[in-house]
Amino acid sequence: MFLFTRKEGYAREIARFFATDLDPIQKQLDKLELGGVLVSRMAGRTRLYTFNPRYPFLRELQSLLERGLSFYPPKQRESLVMVRRRPRRRGKPL
Amino acid sequence: MKPVRRMSQAELAAFVQSHLKARGITAILSGGACVSIHSEGRYTSVDIDLVNAYSVNRGAIEAAMQEIGFTEQARHFVHPDTPYIVEFPPGPLSVGAEPVRQIQELAFSTGSLELLSPTDCVKDRLAAYYHWDDQQCLAQAVLVAQAKDADIKEIARWSRAEGMMGKFRLIRARLTPAGQ
Repeated sequence: MFLFTRKEGYAREIARFFATDLDPIQKQLDKLELGGVLVSRMAGRTRLYTFNPRYPFLRELQSLLERGLSFYPPKQRESLVMVRRRPRRRGKPL
Repeated sequence: MKPVRRMSQAELAAFVQSHLKARGITAILSGGACVSIHSEGRYTSVDIDLVNAYSVNRGAIEAAMQEIGFTEQARHFVHPDTPYIVEFPPGPLSVGAEPVRQIQELAFSTGSLELLSPTDCVKDRLAAYYHWDDQQCLAQAVLVAQAKDADIKEIARWSRAEGMMGKFRLIRARLTPAGQ
């Protein structure tokens, strides 16, 4: 659900968001990548995961996730979705 | 039987695939090796990607590969007598969101080889170009389309279904032999 809403993410970030241990998240990401559901790339020293656009059941999976997201508590849904995506110059005050 | 060290990429792929088939494992050749075969060697790759079409248990694949001298290293298989590496990308066998319906079969002295047709091979490479702007894969698609009779109408239909008609229009002329 994290990757569905945020489009990409890394293991530590996902674990932090769900307040859980890193290891099970990493294992699930590995499994999903091996199964062809996710792909990953390195950005510096961080491995970023996204959905594999070539996964043949991607549309169906995303429909299911969309439906699932609609049942999330509003606060949690908002914290997943309402994240700044636009660029921000380095050094600009918040 | 030809020794592994003397097998070409296609012969080795046929050898491995035939061995797996005898163990009830369906693995269809895809990826760069298909490009190499269909472009008649104008592209070379050390990868042999055999798509695990029906999601056979990884342990069964590992056991079958060990029988012919391959060992697993970081999710791929290596053999001491060949530089080629064998990988088993997860199934189902698809190009984009569509299943592959027609498999081509070639015969070698080491076994028969089931692989993507030239048309599906072009689609497979174009998928990487469409989704990741991968120019290397676009170049490979062009090599295959120009070397073999890829069905451009079918590729256009598929591109539309993938929502990539705009990108297809940009590269369509490059896929035809005379650039027509």
